[in-house]
Order: sequence, then C-alpha cells, then structure tokens
Amino acid sequence: MATKSGDTAHLYDGKTVRSSAPSRKKLAGNASATGEIPKDAIPTVEIPTFIESLLGGPLVPKMKFLPADKMVQNLQLGCYGVLIALGVLTYIVTPAVGTIWFAVTGSMTIATILQLMIVVSAIGTGFWGTMSRDARFMLASYILFILSVMRFASSKVSLSQDLFNFGDSELLLTILVVIYAVLLVMYFELSNGVLRFSMLDTSIRTREVYVMNVKKIIGKYHRSLVINPLIAGTLAMLVLSVNTILPAFISLFSEQTALRMSESVELISVYGVALGTLFVFIVVGALFALDLPTHLQSWRENKD
Amino acid sequence: MWSRKSAMLGSLAVAMYLLGLTLRNSQLVTIAVVIFVFLTWAALFGGHADVSASGRRAEEWSGEEGVSLSNVSAMRKLSSARIFEDGDVGVTLRMQNHSALGKILEVKDRVPEVMRIKDGANYILMELGPRRETFIEYTVECPLRGFYSLGPVAVRVQDPFGLFHKEKELHVYNDFLVFPKMEDLKDTFVKSRVPKIFTGAVNIRQPGPGSEFYSLREYFDGDSFRAINWSAYARSGKLMVNERERDAVSDIILIVDSRAVSETGPVSRNALVYSTRAAASLAKFFLGRRDSVGLITYGDEVVSIDRDTGKKQLYVILTKLAGAMARGNIPLQVVVNRILPHINKGSPIIVLSNLEDDPTIVNALRDFRARDFDVTVLSPSSLEFEFDAKRLDRTGYEVLKTERDVLISELRGLGVNIMDWEPDMLLSTALAGARGF
Repeated sequence: MATKSGDTAHLYDGKTVRSSAPSRKKLAGNASATGEIPKDAIPTVEIPTFIESLLGGPLVPKMKFLPADKMVQNLQLGCYGVLIALGVLTYIVTPAVGTIWFAVTGSMTIATILQLMIVVSAIGTGFWGTMSRDARFMLASYILFILSVMRFASSKVSLSQDLFNFGDSELLLTILVVIYAVLLVMYFELSNGVLRFSMLDTSIRTREVYVMNVKKIIGKYHRSLVINPLIAGTLAMLVLSVNTILPAFISLFSEQTALRMSESVELISVYGVALGTLFVFIVVGALFALDLPTHLQSWRENKD
Repeated sequence: MWSRKSAMLGSLAVAMYLLGLTLRNSQLVTIAVVIFVFLTWAALFGGHADVSASGRRAEEWSGEEGVSLSNVSAMRKLSSARIFEDGDVGVTLRMQNHSALGKILEVKDRVPEVMRIKDGANYILMELGPRRETFIEYTVECPLRGFYSLGPVAVRVQDPFGLFHKEKELHVYNDFLVFPKMEDLKDTFVKSRVPKIFTGAVNIRQPGPGSEFYSLREYFDGDSFRAINWSAYARSGKLMVNERERDAVSDIILIVDSRAVSETGPVSRNALVYSTRAAASLAKFFLGRRDSVGLITYGDEVVSIDRDTGKKQLYVILTKLAGAMARGNIPLQVVVNRILPHINKGSPIIVLSNLEDDPTIVNALRDFRARDFDVTVLSPSSLEFEFDAKRLDRTGYEVLKTERDVLISELRGLGVNIMDWEPDMLLSTALAGARGF
C-alpha cells in the first residue's frame, strides 16, 4: 500500500509477509497515492431533493430526451395555445390594483408595468420551458403566474381591461374567472404532460418500456384533457354561484329571507364562495366516507 | 395512493384557498376550487378511489385485493430453468384481466439487477380490455452464475393525469439457475500417481498397488523386498508380504476458495468468478475422462461434495458452484485438516484461490505435500483485477505484487504446482504453466 511518503513498512507490522498478502478489501480504501477511497468503491445513493419530490421527478432531467414525437409536439402546441389564452386572461382578471408592487410604489403606472412584466415573464418562461422541455422554466412560469394573482382584492372581481363589458354581468364575470382558473390548471397539466410523455417516448424508443395499444392509451389521455376541464369548470361554476343557488333554494320556504340572502354582502363576497366550497366538499367528503367510490368501482368491475 | 404531483396540487390548492380567504381574493379561491375538483374527479373515477376513500396509506393497507387490481392476474413461463453464464432465458408473462372493465396497466416484471434485457421489455404500459389476456415476451441475458428468481410482477393503475395510482405486487416467482461457464480443455496435465485401471468411484476390494492394507500372502519371486512383513516372517517362519488394496480410479479433489476476500475486484472479474469457472471446466474434463471428482468450497463453512463420477455428478458440482457465495474467512488449514483423513494418497488436488488474507496457506499446502499429494494451485490474481479497474495505483500494485511473488515462490519450493493466473490467461494456458509445460 502506498501512502504519500511512499513508506510501506507498516504493511509488514505484525504480519508474516510470506504467509499471505494483506487483505485487498482492507486496502481498497487507501491503496491510492492520495489515500482516498476509490469512487467506484462507494455505492451511490440518490435521494430526491424537496423540489424533485414536489415535481415528481428531477428538476434537471438526467434523461436526455429524444426529439419530440408527434404526440409530444401536439401537447406542446396545445400548451402554447393555452399559455397565450392564459396570459391574456391573467392580464385581464388581475389588475394592478391591490398588488404588492402597487402597495410598495403607490404608482398605478409602475404597478401596471410590473404586473405586465410578470405576466409576460410567466408566458416567456412557460414557452421556453415547454419548447426545451425543461422543468426549471416551467416551475418558474407556474410561480410567476401564481405571483401575478396574489393581490389584495375587495372581494369582488375587477378587471384591468373590459372591452366586452363583462363587468356588467355577474355571471359573465364568474365564467371569466372560472375559465381563467381552468386554463391555469390545464396549463399545469399540459406542460407536465409534455415532460411525462417525453420521458415515456424516450423510454419507448430506448426500449426500456414497451407500450401496447398506444392509440387507446393516448386517446384516453386526450379524452381526459377535454372532459376533466369541462367537469372542473362546471363544478367550480356551481360552487361560485352559491349566492344564486342558496337564495333560490331558500325561496322555496321564504321569499323574504331569500331576498335578504341574495343581497347579503357576505354571500356575494369571497366568503360566499368559501361557503359554497364547504357545501360541495362536505357532500364529496360524505361520499368518500361512505366508501361510495369503492362500491361504484366494484359494481362496474363485476357487472356482466 | 397520492402521487407527488397530486400532493403538490393538493397543497397548492389548500394554500391558495386559505390565502384567497385572507386576501379576500376570489380568483385565488376559484383556482383552488378548480384544483380540488380536478383531484376529486381523478380520485373518484381513476380506479383507485378505494385507497383515497379509506384514508389508509398503501403500506398500511392489508387488503391486497384492491378493487381495481383484484381481477388482474399474472403467470410466467421460462424457456429454461438451467443455463450457463452468458446464456439467455426467454420469459413469457401472461397477464389476465378478469373484470368487466378495461384497464390501463403499468406492468413491471422484476428482473435481478445483474441481468440485462436483451430483447423485448419487462416494463410494459398496456391497455388490457375487459376479460382479455395478453402475453408479454422478453429475453434476459445472464452474465453471472447464481441462483436467481424472477418476480414479483408489479402492477400499477393510475388516472390519465398521473394524480393517483394504486399498486399491487403479484407474487409470481420463477427460480432458475445460472451455472458457471466452462472452457473446453484438451489436457490438464494432471494425472494420479495411483494407476487407473478401473472406472468408477467404488472401492475395489482386490489386491494391487494402493495405500491401504489388504492381506498377507506368501512371498513369490519378484516381490519387492520392501513389501515383506518381517513380523509375520518371525511368527510363521515363512517369508510373507503385505498386500495392499487397490485404490480406485483417480480421485480428483477440487478446492474452491469462496471466502469474502475472493470477491475482491469488479463484480464480473474477480477471483471467485474465475475459480468457479475453472472448477466447472476441470470437473467437466475429469468427469469426461471417467475420473471421480469431489468438490470442496470454503468460505463461512466448508461444503463438500463427495467424489463420484458421471454426468449427474457434473450437475451436482455445477449447482454447488452456482451457489457459491463469497462469505466468511475460514483458513485453508481447517479444510485440509478436515479432508485429509478422507482422501486417497496420491490423489491430485487442485486448489483455486487468490491466496490472500490466509496465514495458514503455506502450512496447509505443506501438509498436503508431506503426504505426497499432487497439489496444483491456480491463483487468480485479484491484484490484477483491481489494478485493471484502477482501484490500485502503480506503487501499491508493485508492493503487493512483490509480496505475492514471494509467497508463490515459497509454495513452489514446497513442490506445489502453482500458477499466478492473470485475468486474460486461458485456463488451459494457466494449467500448462502450473504443471511446468
């Protein structure tokens, strides 16, 4: 064994050299000139970081994607479309009033410019992340979009641009906000889908994974991309329309109470939305508590 | 079971919801509501709602027969249960869906780490229609000897967005054996000093050249004076000679060092790998020559296979070699002490060891030589393996190599036929070198 000094006398300490060579395993750790443990002697243990755990995969993909196939390209195109629509809607539904930068600068112009810059940055990073299939830019884009919507509001929805007079109709405003929320979630899903399907496609082409009935699997994903937003939008509309639905229900018993309720500030404010959410999710929670999904699944599985 | 993605979305939704109420921001609350609805819908109809509904974590969930996966079954068939190193095993996995619902399944058939998928894939994403079955075929290459097991089959269903999934392991296992690969040998240059005149491992109950006493008989002309039993002559007054029981055929004893130190070096290139391959090749050669061959492996215990002949014995030896694990540190002296009373004098003994970390080697081999055994040592040098793998620097290598050379010279001085077996050397060349050819 060689050490820095080149002295090997210690090798012979307490050993009869002619009997046997020293254990190679013991020497493996310090047999180099520098005495360091060889890299390949230590098993590598990879523990995902917090961010990697959240994203469900590595932030910097270790897998180099192969050029995007048609499915991924379609998803990318869809993502670009959603991103543009989302950018426009974000700018409309998130006026500079109430933002942190408005509170800090006190200037509407500067706040508007900053807000616009954030939205544009969110779109830009989203575009770049989707195009280069890089999770880091996607994450930055998500954060910027969420940042742009973080503002003190006065419970009622206000618009920065109202070219089509949406503000005149409560329903149209609600629809606009729901579409905005659905588009945001769809953007999360589509950009995530770009990564997921790129990984899958690369795995297929490198023969790590074999996919049977690709068309059916992709078809199911495509169907879900249409059905899920529709359902999410409808249910969200239901939740957000609690200030209409509750008075209508109460009017069956008392017209007066229903009228007072529909004019109640609490019910038409964000707390009304919270109340609606509470009602809907109490029902959903009850369904789960009754184990309805299991029964439903069981019935579907076993029917002839 | 929640995926990280759904956990992230769920956390984001809760945070947005609370922040929306605090900031009185209905956009935030709306986004949170939409995310909640997404998650709920996926949990309800993703085929794994039972887990979400029960509120139990997958590891706490004793009911293996989940709704979505209870009707999925798997069966496996192997093309062969015994192969040699570098051989291929064809695997056919049959997946069946007994339910009335079609499923999108991720199936992964677990393959031992050392194996390589040569053809096909063991990881399949498939749409399995209602009451349908499908066959998945793939081939694995087995580069290293050992006992292996394929399985379990991991099956997973998840919703299209990958928000929730449910996993199940179908405990379908198939065992198979990978024998060490063998080299064809023309000659081993190893011959018993006891003449071979009869094939088979049985003791021959008849007089002849041998080591054990058989009977007394009268002296005839030509008998060796050394065979005269002088005590008997004194008693009877006639010249009597000792007759000896004829030894059986050549008994070849293979001793394989499977101590922990024998695995020093890369996984596919170490002393144990070389030793097992050499032992398999030698066993095949000697058994083909109709000798009887015994095997002893020592590591954490001494395992021996008694001498026998024939093809069956070859498979017994190969099986034992396939399962030899690098464990323990029993010295060679223990092995020698244990086997010495049981082997015939003059039998060739072939020791396969890297000669490391055993201070008893010299004494043990001296004991063999003192009893006139023909000892051959083939020593795969783990120094070379480590030096090739760049785990040793030049100086360390030179020092250890010198020590090894000193040891080999000392053993050669005892009359042991020894060869420092370098990694690129063929077994036949190493044997010829050991025997001085």
